[in-house]
Amino acid sequence: MNSRDGTTRSPGRHGLMAAVMSAVALGATGGTAAFAQGAGIGTADKPVEVRMVANEAFANQWQTLMVPEFNKKFPNIKVTIDGVPYVELLAKSMLDTTGPSPTYDILIADDPWVPQLAEIGALMDLRSDEVKGWTDPGFDWDDFNAAPLAASEWKGVQYGVPLRSNMLMMFVNKALYERAGVPVPTPTLTWDEYLAQAPRLVQDTNADGTIDAWAVDTYFVREPLTPTIWQTIMNSNGGRLLDDAGKPAFNTEVGIAALETHKKLLDFAPTGAVSHGFSESLQAFRQGLVATMFNWGSVYKGSAIDPKTTTLKPEQVGIQVLPVGSVSAGAHRGIWSGTVSAKSESKQAAWTVLQWLSSKEGEAWHSATLGVFPARKSTLAATPAEPWLVPVFDALQQAYAAAEIGQMWRIRHPRSDAAQQILADEVARAMAGQISAAEALQVAADRIEKIIK
Amino acid sequence: MTTTTAGGARPARHRVGARLSDALSRWVFMAPAAVILGAMLAYPIFYTVQISFARFDLMTFSAVEWVGWDNYVEVLDDYRFWSSMKVTMIYLVFALPIQIALGFGIAFLINAKWKGRGMLRALFLIPMVVAPVVAGGIWRMILDPLWGIVNWGLGLIGLGPMDWFGDPNLAMASIIIIDTWRWTPFVVLIATAALLALPRDIFEAAEIDGANWWSMLWAITLPLLVPIIAATFVVRWLGAVKMFDIALAATYGGPGGATNVINLFIYEEAFRSLRFAESAAMAVIVLVLTMVLTGIFLRSTRKLEQLY
Repeated sequence: MNSRDGTTRSPGRHGLMAAVMSAVALGATGGTAAFAQGAGIGTADKPVEVRMVANEAFANQWQTLMVPEFNKKFPNIKVTIDGVPYVELLAKSMLDTTGPSPTYDILIADDPWVPQLAEIGALMDLRSDEVKGWTDPGFDWDDFNAAPLAASEWKGVQYGVPLRSNMLMMFVNKALYERAGVPVPTPTLTWDEYLAQAPRLVQDTNADGTIDAWAVDTYFVREPLTPTIWQTIMNSNGGRLLDDAGKPAFNTEVGIAALETHKKLLDFAPTGAVSHGFSESLQAFRQGLVATMFNWGSVYKGSAIDPKTTTLKPEQVGIQVLPVGSVSAGAHRGIWSGTVSAKSESKQAAWTVLQWLSSKEGEAWHSATLGVFPARKSTLAATPAEPWLVPVFDALQQAYAAAEIGQMWRIRHPRSDAAQQILADEVARAMAGQISAAEALQVAADRIEKIIK
Repeated sequence: MTTTTAGGARPARHRVGARLSDALSRWVFMAPAAVILGAMLAYPIFYTVQISFARFDLMTFSAVEWVGWDNYVEVLDDYRFWSSMKVTMIYLVFALPIQIALGFGIAFLINAKWKGRGMLRALFLIPMVVAPVVAGGIWRMILDPLWGIVNWGLGLIGLGPMDWFGDPNLAMASIIIIDTWRWTPFVVLIATAALLALPRDIFEAAEIDGANWWSMLWAITLPLLVPIIAATFVVRWLGAVKMFDIALAATYGGPGGATNVINLFIYEEAFRSLRFAESAAMAVIVLVLTMVLTGIFLRSTRKLEQLY
């Protein structure tokens, strides 16, 4: 067995006996005390090192704010976080875990990645007997909302815990609605009502003869997250990505109508919106140019609260689920889960980090300090530390419920990224008017069926 | 020093020995460079070729099973591959001639002696040292339909707003504009050096014979520059076929697939879709095509050199 400091140890019979006795002793004394004390992981002189690979969008924030907070309770676990651009994160994680001596103990995985990582044996079962011994008995798995927890489950095995529970939401600029004389949306707003109101929200607000405010901005550009908008519209109208046999089921009238609705949004969006994605739509909303935006809920704080990043005031901004279709309201799951590498030599320490961050205490700190959305029912039901989180938590709870009803998440399969890229290509061609919605979905269905068979 | 005697076997053996020793010493000196070159250049290419004929196992992250031409058949059956090849061809057909013509034209115009010429030449270097991703990002802001300065300027004269990244033709034009902004200075530098190296006596003789500016340009300068223009074209061609980062930063390959150049497509298939074997097959196809076309261009360059 190789230790982290490079020395080679052989467990031997005595070592094995000692390990078994330690495990028995740990079980007898209870995990709470052990977890609270860091289960004797590391010492002040010899801390245990844990390396994490995460999206660069939040890796630095975690390193500078989250790790010191964690170290208040577990001072002997040294956490180093490497930030990697989103588009390279999955490939890097897979490359690392399949190597003979992986660098990373913790892999932060986006919503559709767990099946891919689990299928190559990269992840540890977090509810295995081994991990149970390292888990605080107070760690309440049942307290998680089903939708975010399911993001890190694959074939009945729980490989992760939700750390950043993002959901696709509808942001509302109430001032632009009031100016247009249109009622401010509520969670019961339907797609028909929304589209009927949209033309009135394309406005000339300063009466100079030029349109300077539009109804909507969101993902239209050619990228993997753009199909989530179409999919959400489809799901809320009863459509599904895959059927029970795992074959594409989106090439239906409901799917085609949903894609046409997504494209129709361009009629009420700013000039050039067909090349807009996350950043561009966010910029348009924060500058008060659009009445609604479909984007990830985690941008709420920067869009409504922080004057350094937005021109809007908190009372101007609303957040809610996407409009209601024939079946339910809309949302789309985008959970970042924390997982432990199956080849990690510091599994216990790695799990301790994830356990703390996803605990009731960790979640409360995370949402109050960094504005990150919680996954636990108890955190969402409690009075938030910040008043601005009250409407956000309400909307989030509704979004979780909607996502669960409509199975509003991306394809979960070991080839999910390839499938998502095909959807991105075809949705983009439909958006650009190069092919019809029906043709786009036909091509996408044929190609995806081939890839995931 | 040895003297050669007729029919002497010993000196002949000595000559062979000297030749062998010479060859050996050459190889000894070359070996480190050859090994490094082999490791850094040849191995990745061979590995790519190997992957292209194999099933790529994500569990071990390696090529595990020989599948023959399957990956190539799959790629050639994918309309997106052909679409990306077409997009790349359109970009090359427009970008290369524009950059060569503009580069040599600007070099010719600034070749005259005037104060500040050196400063202007130095300024020309700036676009070349800007990272392509940064260039793509900056131009995305400049050409933005809502906030960009270009549309604001066009608005002042009653034009626009133009949807630079939303219209397929304008998106391709944007990519060509950004690439031209970046690489024309390189052509200008080569062209300036070539113009300064032209033999002055021919121009002086032409002047004495009463040749005007235009006839000197058409009958002397351009024919003398043809080999340089051809060589510059080949160098730019080799750079341009690698187009990737500007498209990634400026248009993400859109709208639709209007600017999805082949290298961007290969990158997406490999690192987003994790289809490494198919991507390797595409990379090999592009490598072979590039080598063939480069060979044709080099032969044409030699022919032009002989002609002029």
